[in-house]
Amino acid sequence: MKTKFRGYSKKDKAIHVLQTVLAVVVTLIMMFPLYWMIVTSLKTGNVVLNREISLLPDSLSPANYVEAWNRVPLGRYIFNTVIVTFLVMTIKISGGVLAAYGFARGSFPGRNVLFYVILGAMMVPHQVTFIPLYILCSRLGWVNTYMGLILPSVVAPHFIFMLRQAFMSVDQSYLDAGKIDGLGTLGAIWYVMIPMCKASLITVSLTTFITEWNSYFWPKIITQTDAVRVLTVGLVHLRESWTGEELWLHTNVTMAGAVITMIPAVILFIIFQKYMLTGYSKTAMK
Amino acid sequence: MKRSSIEEFLCVLPAVLLVMVTTYYPLADLVRVSFTDWNLLRKDYSYVGLKNWQWFLENAAGNNFYRDMGTTLKYTAGSVLISLVAGLLLALLMSRMTRGFGAMRAVIFLPRYVGMSSAGLLFLWILNKDYGIINNVAEMMGGSRLAWVTSKGLAMVSVLMLTGWHSVGYAMMIYLSAMTGIPSSYHEAAALDGASRTQRFFRITLPLLSPTVLFLLVTTFISSMKVFNAIDILTGGGPYGSTEVIVYLIYQLGFVDYRVDRAAVVSLVFFLFLLLVTVLTMRWSEHKVHYDM
Repeated sequence: MKTKFRGYSKKDKAIHVLQTVLAVVVTLIMMFPLYWMIVTSLKTGNVVLNREISLLPDSLSPANYVEAWNRVPLGRYIFNTVIVTFLVMTIKISGGVLAAYGFARGSFPGRNVLFYVILGAMMVPHQVTFIPLYILCSRLGWVNTYMGLILPSVVAPHFIFMLRQAFMSVDQSYLDAGKIDGLGTLGAIWYVMIPMCKASLITVSLTTFITEWNSYFWPKIITQTDAVRVLTVGLVHLRESWTGEELWLHTNVTMAGAVITMIPAVILFIIFQKYMLTGYSKTAMK
Repeated sequence: MKRSSIEEFLCVLPAVLLVMVTTYYPLADLVRVSFTDWNLLRKDYSYVGLKNWQWFLENAAGNNFYRDMGTTLKYTAGSVLISLVAGLLLALLMSRMTRGFGAMRAVIFLPRYVGMSSAGLLFLWILNKDYGIINNVAEMMGGSRLAWVTSKGLAMVSVLMLTGWHSVGYAMMIYLSAMTGIPSSYHEAAALDGASRTQRFFRITLPLLSPTVLFLLVTTFISSMKVFNAIDILTGGGPYGSTEVIVYLIYQLGFVDYRVDRAAVVSLVFFLFLLLVTVLTMRWSEHKVHYDM
C-alpha cells in the first residue's frame, strides 16, 4: 500500500490525509454513545441532570453499580442468563453439528427433503409464531420457566446450513482414513469434522452466545417473575423501578446496569473479533 | 438400509424434530387459532369459522393494520437506506488496510454486540428532552431542545438513529469483504487508461458490488420488517401510535388485549407478506444480478 503512493500527486496526499481525519471523526461519533454510557454510570447524585456538558465523570466510585446490584436481584438475573445461554448453546450446537454432518455426508433416503424442511424454517420467524409458541408453552406449563425461555432458540437452521457448508469442504480421504482406524459416525464427527472445522464452530458458538445473552423479545414475553428473569429484561425492570423525576435522576444507576449487561458480549467480541468478522463475510459471499 | 445410513438419519433427526416443534407446529397452530374466539384469559374457546378474518378485512383501517404496516414500511425504508448508503460510504472511508483502520472498523462494528435493551436505554438517555446530551449540545450552540423520542415527527428518526448506530457496521463489513474480493488489477488497468477515482467507483466497484447490494437489501428489508426490541424500549409504539410496527400490533393484540385469535390473523397476513417478498426477490435476483466476476 505504501509504495502505491510514491510519486503520486499532492492531490492524492491531501485525499489520504482527509480520509484519515474523516475516519477518526466518524469513529469518535460511533464510539461516543458507549463512552457516554460509562461516564454516566460513574456520575454521582444529581450531577447527572446538569445541563453543562462535562465529558468526564465526577468520581470513579462504583456506588451506582452497587445500587443497581441492590435495587433489583441483578445477581439472580445474571445467574438466569448464564443458565439459559448455556442450555441453548449446548442443545443448539450439538444438534446443529449432528444435523450438519448428516446433511453434508449422509446418503439416507429423504435427505434432501429433510434438508428443505430445515431450510424452510428460515422463512418462518419467531416474530410471526410467538403467539402459538406462547400457547404451546402455557399448555406444557412452561410459562415463566427455563424450559419456556430456551424453547424457541434450541435449533437454528442457518447454523446447520453454515456448518454443513464447512463439513462438505472436508476432504473425503480424511473420513476414509478415520474409518480404516475404526471410527464410527460419532467418532468421525468428534475426531475429524470438529477439529477440521474449528473456525466455523467457534463463529457459530460465539454468535449463539451473544445472540442469547442479548435476546429480549421472547424473554420479555415468557418471563413474569425475578426467579427466571434474564438480564436484558431485568435491566428495563431496574429502570422502571423509579417513576417521574426519580427516573431520570437515577439514570446513572440504570447506565451502571446497562454496562454490566453489555460487558460479557463486548469482551467476547474484542477477544474473538477475527472469528466474528470472517464468519460474517463468509455468509455474505455464499 | 445400511447401518451407517441409519446412523446418519439419526444424526439429523433431533434437529428435524426440534424444527417441527418450534416452527412448523406453531405455524399450523396459528391457522387453527385464527378460526377460534380464543381469549388468553379464558381456558375454553370455540371455533367461529372466518369471523376473525371478517373482522380483519372489514376493520383493517380501524384496527390499525394499514397504519402499522405503513409505519413498518417507513421504518424499513429508512433502515435499508442507512444500511445500503451509509454502509457503503463507511466501507469506502474505512477501506484502508492498516492496523489503525482495522481498530476503527472494529469500533464501528462493535455496537452490534451491545444488547438492544442496554442500547435502547442508553439512547433514551442521550435523546432525552430535558437532560440529554444531544439537546445540551444543541442548546449550547444556540439551538432549541427537541423532543426526540416523544414527538410524533421525531420518534421514528430516534428509532432509526438507534438501530442505525447498532447495525450500520454490519453493512460496512459486508461491503468491505466484497470489495476486497475485487481484483486490484481491475483498478490498476483502469487507472492506467486514465480513469478517475469517481469513474473507477461507478464503472468498476459499484457494478461488481451489485450482488452485495442485493444481499444487504433483502436481508435488511426482512429483518427491519420484524423490528420490535428497539421500538419497545425507545417509544413503546408511541407517541399516538406513530412508531407502532406490525410485530408490536400483534404483541398488543395478544398480550395486552388478550385477543390471540385476532393476533393470529394479523400474524398470518404478516407471514404471507414476508413470504411473498422473499419469493419475489429470489425470482427477480436470478435475472437481474450477475454474480460472476
